Amino acid sequence: MAFLLKNFLQSILKILAKTYLWRRKPLVIVVAGTANRHWLKENILSGFNKKKLLCRVSQKNFNAEIGLPLSILGIFPDENQRGKINRWFFALKKGLKIAFKKNVGEKEVLVLEMAIDKPDDMEYLLSIARPDIAVFSAITMIYPENFDNLDEIAMEYRKLIAALPKNGLALLNADDRRIIGLGQYTGAKVITYGVENQNADYFAQDIQKITTGQQFKIQTPEMTGKNIEIKRFGKHHIYAELVKEVILNKIINDQIPITIQ
Amino acid sequence: MFQRTQNINLSPIKTMELLASKISDVVSLAQGIPSFDTPSIIKRAAIKALNRGVVAKYSLTYGLSELRETIEQKLAEDNMFYDFEKEIIVVAGSIDGITAALIAIIEQNKDEIIIFSPDYTSYAETIKVSGGKPVYVNLSEQNNWQIDFDELSAKISPRTAAIMFSNPNNPTGTIFSKDNLLRLAEIAASNNAFIISDEVYKDFVYSDTDYPKPNEPIGKALFSLAEISELRKRVIRIFSLSKAYAMAGWRIGFLHSDEENIQEILKTHDSLVTCAPVISQHAALAALDFAGKEIDMFRYEFQRRRGLTCKYLNELSDFFSYHKPIGSYFIFPRVLKYPQTKVDAKKYKNYLTPEQMESPSWQFALDLLYQARVAVVPGLAFGPAGENHIRLSFGRNKKDIDKAMGRIRKFLTSNF
Repeated sequence: MAFLLKNFLQSILKILAKTYLWRRKPLVIVVAGTANRHWLKENILSGFNKKKLLCRVSQKNFNAEIGLPLSILGIFPDENQRGKINRWFFALKKGLKIAFKKNVGEKEVLVLEMAIDKPDDMEYLLSIARPDIAVFSAITMIYPENFDNLDEIAMEYRKLIAALPKNGLALLNADDRRIIGLGQYTGAKVITYGVENQNADYFAQDIQKITTGQQFKIQTPEMTGKNIEIKRFGKHHIYAELVKEVILNKIINDQIPITIQ
Repeated sequence: MFQRTQNINLSPIKTMELLASKISDVVSLAQGIPSFDTPSIIKRAAIKALNRGVVAKYSLTYGLSELRETIEQKLAEDNMFYDFEKEIIVVAGSIDGITAALIAIIEQNKDEIIIFSPDYTSYAETIKVSGGKPVYVNLSEQNNWQIDFDELSAKISPRTAAIMFSNPNNPTGTIFSKDNLLRLAEIAASNNAFIISDEVYKDFVYSDTDYPKPNEPIGKALFSLAEISELRKRVIRIFSLSKAYAMAGWRIGFLHSDEENIQEILKTHDSLVTCAPVISQHAALAALDFAGKEIDMFRYEFQRRRGLTCKYLNELSDFFSYHKPIGSYFIFPRVLKYPQTKVDAKKYKNYLTPEQMESPSWQFALDLLYQARVAVVPGLAFGPAGENHIRLSFGRNKKDIDKAMGRIRKFLTSNF
């Protein structure tokens, strides 16, 4: 019974999410990888916010077969609401309203995650939403139980990068050999970022830990040595900052790959 | 034999619980655990992890990477910025974290740890277990249990390895002001001492009102020295999920500090427990992600129970005086009058130390236990300044508080 109910719910949510995407045509950015997705999303959001563009970011863990459509619709069911059926009834009712809302409003940017727990998860998620831009962080051994090795996880991400349109964009972490290896499976434009691999298009160098955070310089094809100071500690924040820089330069300023206003 | 453990005592709270367990129908306001069960969303996550077969192996000594990422995010919400990869360790409850930190920082010629009195009863024993010497600095009761800086300045020395304290304070419920904490940090810095800030009750900070209405915003943010980036190398902050998420039995918490300190603490944490229980780490992930509303509910309930306990104490103002706690779920009244009828403390010499047998607060706690059938913690358990006080927990449910306070009232009014 629970299985049937879940399948039913999943199907309805998928239809509603696809309807929403078809009607609103947002710019879809998918953040993928086994680590650092939160800060990448936060920095992407901050990039768009800086330019006062409408951007919505998925909540943590709303990224699988049920969570992804909910994220697209912008519904986050209250786990504390009494009764599972009640909770989902209200979620579906709300989803229906959002998907078929008369006024589609201004163009928005949707920043989503696609979580893969096991092989073939990605295919289902891609049947709900196709990315315009995909940002890949790293492949680490976080979800090992259903994958034999890290290469198997990379195989799933291959499906995601292959789903990008020709005028799409892939942002790849140049420091992760499996991520950088994904570049060959897309016809979309590829931009790389990194702190170790000097061949990265967006490269952070002269990294220094200071009392209040980190200082570094960003080397890009367009400019040399832009000084950045962040109030955060850890390499993952530098990656997030590099991605933000790409968002600001390539997507917002150069309007690549898709007009968003 | 047992040379190391000769001077180490069982926690007085456990002693009281042990004595109470031998008497029928005792109501306990002694143990510092909330009356609530772990929220179901957390239990479901643990069951899911168990069924997925991901809990049987060790995690990294640091803890699960995804949990530490979440901890970093939660800390950032509270204005504390730490790198999940190198600056956060998931620990098996705050005592594991405290012990690991103490073992790492105590040195042969820098072996004194300043603790406040009153403060958490296990600090002194943990310091001794870690090879250090506890040095008490009394909080000023007249000044609402704030830090006595004159005494602190007098007691701190080049031998001081750290100043360790709970904030909100257990047992007084005091919160140290930002100004006082910064002053404390200055004193620590001038003596090259660490600061170990135990903030397990940080989610239970209350507003002034006794009986808040449902959905009334009551929580207050707690300032932590770990927010000051200039103090990152000096401050080791500890947090446990035991109280905030009603997860005491799961033994899960975390500590964070600058990478330099964490590298050393990691070694001792590894030697002590290898890693925090992995099933609890999965549960903690769900707690931090999804159980915010439960904390709000707990805080609301505790604030009402604080109001209830204060009401009873106000009715007993001939016997007790107290400062209304702002945080935690404890109240620490001073005993103004001791009853005539006393139980013979010497009868319990197998459980009590000689000092405890002579202590008025122990005597009073035993009187309450054996004559009123209410378990409380004697104030001496929290250091010398705790004498002549008792600790009452309003973490228990309303029924227990009503019953216990009713019994205390009856006992006191019939013994004078």
